[in-house]
Amino acid sequence: MALEIIVMIKQVPDSQEVVIDPVTFTLNRGAARNVINPADENAIEAALRIKDKTDAHITVITMGPPFAESALIDCMSRGVDDAVLVTDRAFAGADTYPTGLTLASTIKKLGKYDIIFAGEESTDSSTGHVGPGVAEFLGTDQASYTSESWYEDGFVYAKRELEDGTEIVKMKPPTLITVLTNANDPRRATLRKKIDAMKKGIKTMTLADLGMPPEWVGLRGSPTVVKSMRTIDEKKREGKKFKIEEIPKLVDELIEKKIISI
Amino acid sequence: MVGIINAVPPENLDEYKNVFVFIELRNGQLSRPGLEMIGAGMNIARKANEKLIGVMIGDNISKLADDAGAYGCDIILGAEGKELKQFRTMPYSYIIGEFIQEFKPNILLIPATRNGRDLASRVAVRSKAGVTADCTELDIDLNGRILLAKRPTYGESTLAEILCKKHRPQMATARPGIFKIPDREEGRKFQKDIRKIKVPDEMMGKEIIEFIPKKSLDLTAAKIVVSGGLGLSKAQGFQILDDLANELGGVVGASRPTVDLGWIQRDHQVGQTGQSVRPDLYIAAGISGKIQHIMGMKLSKNIISINTDPNAEINQYSDYIINDDLYKAIPALTEEIKKRKAGKKTD
Ligand SMILES: Cc1cc2nc3c(=O)[nH]c(=O)nc-3n(C[C@H](O)[C@H](O)[C@H](O)COP(=O)(O)OP(=O)(O)OC[C@H]3O[C@@H](n4cnc5c(N)ncnc54)[C@H](O)[C@@H]3O)c2cc1C
Ligand SMILES: Nc1ncnc2c1ncn2[C@@H]1O[C@H](COP(=O)(O)O)[C@@H](O)[C@H]1O
Repeated sequence: MALEIIVMIKQVPDSQEVVIDPVTFTLNRGAARNVINPADENAIEAALRIKDKTDAHITVITMGPPFAESALIDCMSRGVDDAVLVTDRAFAGADTYPTGLTLASTIKKLGKYDIIFAGEESTDSSTGHVGPGVAEFLGTDQASYTSESWYEDGFVYAKRELEDGTEIVKMKPPTLITVLTNANDPRRATLRKKIDAMKKGIKTMTLADLGMPPEWVGLRGSPTVVKSMRTIDEKKREGKKFKIEEIPKLVDELIEKKIISI
Repeated sequence: MVGIINAVPPENLDEYKNVFVFIELRNGQLSRPGLEMIGAGMNIARKANEKLIGVMIGDNISKLADDAGAYGCDIILGAEGKELKQFRTMPYSYIIGEFIQEFKPNILLIPATRNGRDLASRVAVRSKAGVTADCTELDIDLNGRILLAKRPTYGESTLAEILCKKHRPQMATARPGIFKIPDREEGRKFQKDIRKIKVPDEMMGKEIIEFIPKKSLDLTAAKIVVSGGLGLSKAQGFQILDDLANELGGVVGASRPTVDLGWIQRDHQVGQTGQSVRPDLYIAAGISGKIQHIMGMKLSKNIISINTDPNAEINQYSDYIINDDLYKAIPALTEEIKKRKAGKKTD
């Protein structure tokens, strides 16, 4: 039987297009295009590499607004078999708990799953909590921060990159893997696959399909609330200019201000 | 596993008391991020007049517990066993889950290291709790004993304050390198409660088949970081940065493209997808100052930019600007520091 692989992806504002407002020092995301979260592209590639070698079927899922469909079509154009958009007004404002809950519930509804992939974190919320959260909801094992993963003789292997070294782990499926940004070189979409994807289309699920009460999800289902946001007080930087010949003067100042010690 | 269930809050919040901090071990030793949690938790526990409980999991941890106690915990609550020697999410989250049920802590702090985040995500769901990731400021509002967790968002431009009013414990992961490790107080009295916990077989999870240690470069601990970018134009350019960093007692950082080109290893990378640093002095040589790089260094106390382009974006973030070729400026700086050191010796 084919290995069932799920990849969780999220659409985020393109961080290369987000600009810092020079006055308020906040990010202006208004103008930014939506793209697939960078680490999630690596997660898709990690899934496709398993499919390259093993009989596998890949489903990509996202919880997001209807326009996230374009991201899903993009995934299918790279070789992902099916795509599911979980969308509902009720999901808005979710923190990591209900996001994980909604995704885990979707995965359960889809049926069999052997390996679930997620990105290490998303660039817009950067918590990295959603992947392992889904693993806990489903009761599966997990390997986070992986640079490589493979499937062999019924086991899933992964390389976890930690601060002090690399850990190689062996797991029984089902399991969840989170993939590091830049872990691999994601393949590009092909035109033929894109045409196939548009023909096939994506599947949509709503809260009703998941059969959960509305107070479980979205803002209402979130344990955390954002109380306030404030611009981080930027230190006023003087930008004092020094010429090469004035380096002794610069060093004097650094020593005097105890920025460096000799 | 928690099952597919919503985050139901506990009925009686007053039952939840005291501050749990997870003292992460690395290689069977106390780790710096782990000890920093004692510092982060102590302020809160003192203010709320509650106990600070250090949670420790590993093999043979009694000595380490004594060591950690000297940093200021009221209780060290431990679980030990051969099979707990290395961090693994499943058994570790099981044990912390059991401790939470028994002790009902009001707050739980975990270092935002890779294993710490891996663990916190899971414990939060297991306990139906809320968790705030990667905090740089933590405080408590005594009215309701609410954790005030602050974390930078949107590329370090904004500080969000996040609360979790109804769910317990109130969890946060705290960014390494921010909170101060308290001073040791030898002979300090504290309670030690170390247990042998039987973890159910199905909670043992993955097998670690190999660990390949690397000499870890901890950019976040450095007081001085000398970073290079594409302006170096070749891998060998890092040599002059190395020389300067050595003279200053600092370490070498890098922009992402230099890492992608293989000029230097990934653990030197500063920025959104690298490490975030806030040293006393950050020197950016041949770095343009794109937002993804800025995010990782803009909280540095002092910044020097060396760039041939007078309009480089990095200049807006700099205290000192040398508008010239880094191949002239860096060696000149190194020479000047050397001269000062030599001068000091003869004084
Ligand atoms: C999702 C994402 C994540 C990213 N994450 C990171 C990250 O974590 N860290 C990161 O750094 N980047 C990151 N980037 C890349 C980032 O956008 C920039 O491309 C990168 O920071 C530019 O590197 P640079 O400043 O070295 O090179 P450049 O932008 O090419 O700048 C080189 C600079 O050197 C100057 N120069 C040239 N010659 C000399 C000389 N002889 N002497 C002095 N100055 C000279 C030039 O004037 C120029 O300002 C990320 C990008 C994306 C999309
Ligand atoms: N709304 C979502 N839909 C699908 N996957 C998501 C969603 N939010 C987060 N994820 C996945 O969880 C990972 C971590 O995200 P985060 O916890 O937001 O940093 C992402 O890289 C995605 O793989």
